[in-house]
Amino acid sequence: MNKVFGTIKKTQPYLGFLILGGILSLAPALVANTQWFLFAWLTIFAGFVVYSIASLGMNILMGYGGLASLGTAGFMGLGAYLTMVLTVDLGLSFFPVLILTILATTVLGILVGLISLRVEGFFLAIATLVIAEMLRQVFQQMPLLGGHAGRTMPAFPTISIFGIAEWTLNRNQTYIMLVIFLVIAMFVTQLLFKSATGRALSAMRGSESAAAAMGISIFRGRLLAFALASGFAGAAGSLFMFFMPFTNPNHWNLVLSLFIFAVVVIGGVRSVAGTVLGAFIVFAVPQLFIARLPIIGDISGMDFVFTGVLIIVVVLFYPAGLVYMPISIKNGITKLINKRKKGGETA
Amino acid sequence: MSIFVQILFNSLEAGGIYALATLGVILIFRTSSAFNYAQGVISMFCAFIAANFLHSTGMNVWVATIFGLFSALLVGIFIDRVVISRTINLHSVSKQIITLGLVIVFLGLAPMFFGVDPMTYPRFAHGAVTVAGANITHGAIINISIGIMVVAILFFVIQKTKWGLAVRATASNGLVARLMGIPTPVVTMGAWAIAAALGTLAAVMRAPDTMVNLVMMDSIQITALLACVLGGLGTFHGPVIAAYLISLGRALVAFYISPTWSEAIIYILILLVLMFAPNGIFGKKVLKKV
Repeated sequence: MNKVFGTIKKTQPYLGFLILGGILSLAPALVANTQWFLFAWLTIFAGFVVYSIASLGMNILMGYGGLASLGTAGFMGLGAYLTMVLTVDLGLSFFPVLILTILATTVLGILVGLISLRVEGFFLAIATLVIAEMLRQVFQQMPLLGGHAGRTMPAFPTISIFGIAEWTLNRNQTYIMLVIFLVIAMFVTQLLFKSATGRALSAMRGSESAAAAMGISIFRGRLLAFALASGFAGAAGSLFMFFMPFTNPNHWNLVLSLFIFAVVVIGGVRSVAGTVLGAFIVFAVPQLFIARLPIIGDISGMDFVFTGVLIIVVVLFYPAGLVYMPISIKNGITKLINKRKKGGETA
Repeated sequence: MSIFVQILFNSLEAGGIYALATLGVILIFRTSSAFNYAQGVISMFCAFIAANFLHSTGMNVWVATIFGLFSALLVGIFIDRVVISRTINLHSVSKQIITLGLVIVFLGLAPMFFGVDPMTYPRFAHGAVTVAGANITHGAIINISIGIMVVAILFFVIQKTKWGLAVRATASNGLVARLMGIPTPVVTMGAWAIAAALGTLAAVMRAPDTMVNLVMMDSIQITALLACVLGGLGTFHGPVIAAYLISLGRALVAFYISPTWSEAIIYILILLVLMFAPNGIFGKKVLKKV
C-alpha cells in the first residue's frame, strides 16, 4: 500500500508515483484482455484521474496555503469550456489548447488570490463559490457555449507538431495521456511541498503573522496558492473535455466543488498519495463496486447513499485523513501486542 | 409605479423564502460553527414527505405542510443524534464535509422513497387582489406574511426568552456556555430541528412554482449561503436582511438592466460589497489573536 501510493515516511515517494502511473496505465490492456474489467470502467478511471489532478491543486491551496475554496468546479468548467471553444471554433491542436487553458485559469486564479487578500476564512470560501456560480451563469447564458443543454466536441485530442505531423489519439491513448498528466501533477505537487516555497506556504498556514514576521510574503504566497490550484483545476477540466467530449453547465456545480473538498479531507491534507487515494474513494469506488453489488446495486440511489455514508464514516473516524490509517492500525496492533505481553507477565 | 410595487411584492415573497432558509443556515452555523450544505436537500426530502402525504390522503394543504414541518423536526433531531452530536470535537472543515456526506445520502434516499418524478404542491390560497395597480395573489400574501411572522417570532425567541439566551450563549462560546451549565448538546439538537423545519417551510412555499423535485432547493441553498456571508456571520439579523436585499436586488436588476444576466450581475455586486466589507454588511471585524 505504502509503496503504491507513495509513502508517508520520509523516503522518496517519486518511484511510488511512477509505479502508480504504471498500474493505472494497465487499465486499457485489462479492458482488451479480461472479462471482468468492463469497457465503461475506463471512463470511470479517466474521471478519477482528472478529478485527482484538480484535488491535488485543492490540496496545495488547503493543505499548504490554509485557504478554502468552493470554486474548484467553476474553474474546471472554465477549463472544459475554453478547451471546447479553442478546439472547435479556433481549430487549435492539443498542446496549444491545454497551455492556453491553463494560462487563462491561472490568471483568473490570481484575481481570486487578490480577493483573498481582503476576504478571509468562511467569507473567502463563499466568495469563491460566488465566482464559480458566476461562471456557471456565463456557461448557461452564452449562446456560443450551448446554453443549458451543453455542447459536444469531437472526441479525443489531435496532436500536431508545428503543423508538420498530425495524428489523433484513440480512447486508450488518451487515457494513458491523462495518467501521464496525473503523474506530472503528483511530481509537481510533491516537489512544491518539499521546496522553500512549500515551506513558506506551510508557515503561512500555521500563523500568517508569524510567517510575515519571518519575512515570508503573504501576498506572494496567497497568489501563488490560488494560481496553482486554479491552474490544476483548469488543466483537469481541459483533460476532462478531451476524454469525455461533452459538457453542460449543471455538471460544474457546488456539489462537485464539495466533492473535491471532500477528497482532500478524506485522503489527508498535505499528502499527495492521500489525495489520489481520496479521489479513488470518492469518484471511483461507488461506481466500480457499490453499483455492482447484487441486490443493493439494483436499488436506484443506493450508490449515493453509500458514498455519503462512506464520507461521513471516514471523516468521523479518520479526521486527519485515510492516509494515516496504516499508521493508526500499526499503533493499534503494537498496543494490542504490548497489552498481551504485559498480561502475560502479570499472570 | 405599479411595476415597482409588483417587483417589491415579488421580491418580498422570494425574499421570505430565502430568509427562512438563511435563518436555518445561520442558526446551525452559529451553534455548530459549520455551514450546513445539507439544509437544502433535507428540506427537499421533507417537502417530498409533505407532498406524498398530501397526494395519498387528500388532506388540506395546511395539514400536509404541518405534517411536513413535523417530519422535518424529527429528521433534524435524528441527524443531530446520529451524526452531528459525534462531531463536537472535529474541525469545522471536517464538519462541513460531513454535511456534504448528508447531501449525497439524501440525494440517494429521495428517489428511493419517492421516485424520480416531480410532484405538484398546491398554493395555500387562490385568487388575487390589486394593490396600487399591481396584481398580488393571495398565495403570495400568505407567503409574505408567513416569512415575516416566522422570522419575527424566532427573533423574539432568540432575544427575549431563556431558550434564546441559551442559543446566543452557545453561539458566542460553546465551551464557556457548557461550563455555565447550558445544555449545549440540546441547544445544537434544537438548532438542527428548527433549521430543518425552516428549510422545509421555505421548500413548501417554493414548491407550487417549481414542483417538488430533487434540485428544487439548489439555488435557494446557494442564495442562503451568500446571504449569510453578505449579512455577516456574527449576527442572526444580518443574514436575514441580506436575504431580502439579494431578492430585491435580483428582481430590480432583472427588470431594469437585463433578465438574462441578473444572476451574474448580482454575484458581481456581492463580490464588490465583500471587497469593501470583508466581514459582511452587519458583521464586526474579528480580531485574531497572534
